[in-house]
Amino acid sequence: MHARPGTFHPFSGQRLGWILGGLAALVLLLGLLAHFLGASRRQAERAQAAPSGWPDARRKLAASSQRAAETEQASPKDSRPPDFEATTCWRSLDEFNEGVTVETFRKWAAALMASEDEHVLTYLKERLAELIGPDGGRAAEVLGWVREASPKEAGVFLSAIRSSQAVQQPAVAAKLAAMSLDKSLPLERRAGLLAALDTQKQLDAATLGRFTELARDASSGEAGWAATRTIGRVMATDSQRSGSQAAYLDKLLTIGSESSDDDIRYLAISMPMHADPILDRSALERYAKILTTEGSANGRDAAAHMLSLSQDKARVLEIFASAFRADGDICARWAMFRFAARAAGKDALPVMAVMASADPRFQDDHRIFEQIYGSGVVDFDRVWLSLPDQDPHGCLHRPD
Amino acid sequence: MRPQRRTLCALTMLLALELAQGRLAGVAAAAPALSAESCSVEGLLADIRKGLGSRSEAYRRYLRNLLRESAPTLPAAALRLAFARETHPVVAEQLAAALIARSERGADSSGLRTVAERLLSEPDPALRAAVVRAMRRTSAAESTGDLYEKLVHDAAPEVRREAATNLVEDNRFVYFGHHGPATDAAVMAAASAASSDPQVTAQILGNISTEAAGPGAAEAMRKLLRSDQVEVRSAAAVALGGVPASESASARQSLIDLYRDESDPRVRRALLQGIAQLGFAGAIPDLVQLREVDPGLSREIDAWVQTLRKGLPSWELILREKQRLDELNAQPASQSGR
Repeated sequence: MHARPGTFHPFSGQRLGWILGGLAALVLLLGLLAHFLGASRRQAERAQAAPSGWPDARRKLAASSQRAAETEQASPKDSRPPDFEATTCWRSLDEFNEGVTVETFRKWAAALMASEDEHVLTYLKERLAELIGPDGGRAAEVLGWVREASPKEAGVFLSAIRSSQAVQQPAVAAKLAAMSLDKSLPLERRAGLLAALDTQKQLDAATLGRFTELARDASSGEAGWAATRTIGRVMATDSQRSGSQAAYLDKLLTIGSESSDDDIRYLAISMPMHADPILDRSALERYAKILTTEGSANGRDAAAHMLSLSQDKARVLEIFASAFRADGDICARWAMFRFAARAAGKDALPVMAVMASADPRFQDDHRIFEQIYGSGVVDFDRVWLSLPDQDPHGCLHRPD
Repeated sequence: MRPQRRTLCALTMLLALELAQGRLAGVAAAAPALSAESCSVEGLLADIRKGLGSRSEAYRRYLRNLLRESAPTLPAAALRLAFARETHPVVAEQLAAALIARSERGADSSGLRTVAERLLSEPDPALRAAVVRAMRRTSAAESTGDLYEKLVHDAAPEVRREAATNLVEDNRFVYFGHHGPATDAAVMAAASAASSDPQVTAQILGNISTEAAGPGAAEAMRKLLRSDQVEVRSAAAVALGGVPASESASARQSLIDLYRDESDPRVRRALLQGIAQLGFAGAIPDLVQLREVDPGLSREIDAWVQTLRKGLPSWELILREKQRLDELNAQPASQSGR
C-alpha cells in the first residue's frame, strides 16, 4: 500500500516520535493519576453531586460570581494582557473528517489520540458518536475495542458510545451493563462503562438492582461510585421525562445507608438533589435515620438538604430540632438550621429561634433570616441569595 | 450495449459505491497525513470555509470552538481585517465571536467595539443577524451602551428576534437573573419595542427573570399590562410575578386589578401565574377571591391553590408541580384512574 507523503509508516522516525511522546505522556499521566486519585475522587463527587447541600441558587451565584470575577480580571485595571495558551491546528483534519469510518477510526485517529490537544480529543469523541449514529452494530464494534484500549482511548470510545443514539437501544445498553459488571476488568474501566450508561432515559428494575448490589459491595471502589452516580443521573432524566423517582430514590437510600465507603454513601445521599423529589413518609424517615446515624458531617448536611423537600413540614421541623440538639458539629447544625427555612419558610423561624438559643453562634443567622422573611421574600432561593454571607460558619470547603 | 460492456459498467459502479462507503479498506483507507501546526487566521478561515459544506456537526463545532479558543493568541489586526472583509454570515458570526472572546478574556478591549460598529453600519440584514448571534451568552450588553435598544428597532425582523434572544439568554445563562442593570436593560429594551414589535417585547418579558429588576423597570412592566396587545399583557403579567419583594405589593395589586378588567383568558392565566409567584402560599386567599370573576378559569385557580398548598420552597419547584398537575388533569379519566 502506498501512503501519501507525510503519512505515518509503521516504524518511521515521525511515528516513533509520536509513540515515545505518547508513552512519556502516559507515564506522566499515570503518575499524576496515582498522586491525585485520593483527592480527586472526593472533589469529583462534590462537583457531580453539585449542590453538595447547597441550593440551586448557591450554584447559580457561584457561576455568576465566577463570571463577575472573569469580567473583573478582564478589566483594564491591569494593562498587561493575560497569558494565553496557544492552540493547535491539524493539517489534513478535513480529510480525516470526511473520510474516516468506524472501521478506520482507530488507525486514523492514532496521532490525534496521542496528542494532548483537548479540543481535538473532544472532536474525536463527537465525531465517533456521529459515526456510530443509531447503528447498534457499530456501537457494539466500538464497545469491543474498550477492553484492550489505553485509558485515553477508552475514554474517547466510551464517551462516543455514551452520546450516540445507539446507546438508547436496549441491546447496546444491556451489553454495556453486562460488561460493567465483568469482574475480570479493572475497576476503573468498569467505572467508565457504568458512566457511559448515565445518558439512559431509564434503568429497569433488574439493572437498578445489580448496580445497587455493586455499589454496596465494599470492594467495588471506583465502579461502585460510578454505579451510584449513574443511578442518580438517570433518576434526574427519568424524573424530568416521566416524573418517575421512587425506585431510584429507594436504591440510592439503600446505598446511602449501607455502603461502607464514605464517598459512595455521600454520593448516594446527595444525588437525588438533582431530581428534587418530594419525600413521602417512608423516604422522610429513612433520611431522618441517616441524619442521626451517618458518621460523615457532609453526609448529614446532604440528608438535611433532602429532608427539606417534604410535605410533612411539622415532622421535618421536629426531626431537625431534635437532631440539632444531639449533633455537636457546627456544619451539620448550620445545615439543619438553614434547611429548616427551606422546609417551612417563615414558619420555621420559631424552631430556628430555639436552635439559636441552644447554640448562640446561630443568633446572628436567626436575626438575618427573620429580617429577610420580614421584608416579604417568600422564595427560598431568593432568601438564600439575600444572605450577606452564605458560609458564615466556614463549612463550604471544610474537609470531612 | 454489449453484455461485456454492461458487466464492466456494473462492476465500475459497484467499485465506486464500495469506495464511497469505505468498504474496500485497503484502497480507500489511506490515513490522511495529520500533522500539528500553529494556528493562523488565514488557515483557520480556510478550514472554516471548507467545513461549511461538511455534514459533520462535530467538525463544524470543533472549527467554531477552535477559532474562538485561538482568538486571544491570534494577531488582532489580521482578525479585525478578516472580520471587516467577511460577507458570509456564518463566517462573519464566527469571526465576531472570536473578536468578542478576545475582549471577554482581556486580550483586546477593542474587539467588542469593532463588532458593535459593524452591526450599526452593515447593510445586509442576514449578516447583522449573524453578528448579533455572536454576542449571545456574553457580557456584551454591559459595554455596548444602548446598542440593544437600537437592535430591537432594527428594520429587519430577524435582527430584532436575535437581539431579543440574546437578552433572554444573557439574563438566564450569563447573569442567572441576578444582575440588576442587565435585567433593567432587557426590560427597557422590551418596553421600547412594545409599539413597533410586540412579539419581541413578549419574547423578552415572557422569558427573563425579573428578580433583580429595579423600580423603573417594574414601573415599565406595570404600564405594559395596559398594552392593547394580548401577548404583551400576558408577558408583562408573567414578568411582574418575578419582581423583587420591594416591588411585590404594587405588582400584586396591578395584577389583581387587571384580572378583574381583563377579558382574554390567556392573559388571565398569565395573571394568575404572576399572582401565584408573588405570594406563594400567601397568594391563596387572593386566588380564591378571584374565582368568582371568571368561572371558566375556576379549574385553573384550583390547580394553583392545590399546588401552592404543598408549601414548596422555590418557584422552580412550584412550576414543576403545577405542570405535573396540569398533565394529570389533562389525562382522560381512564388513564388517571379517576
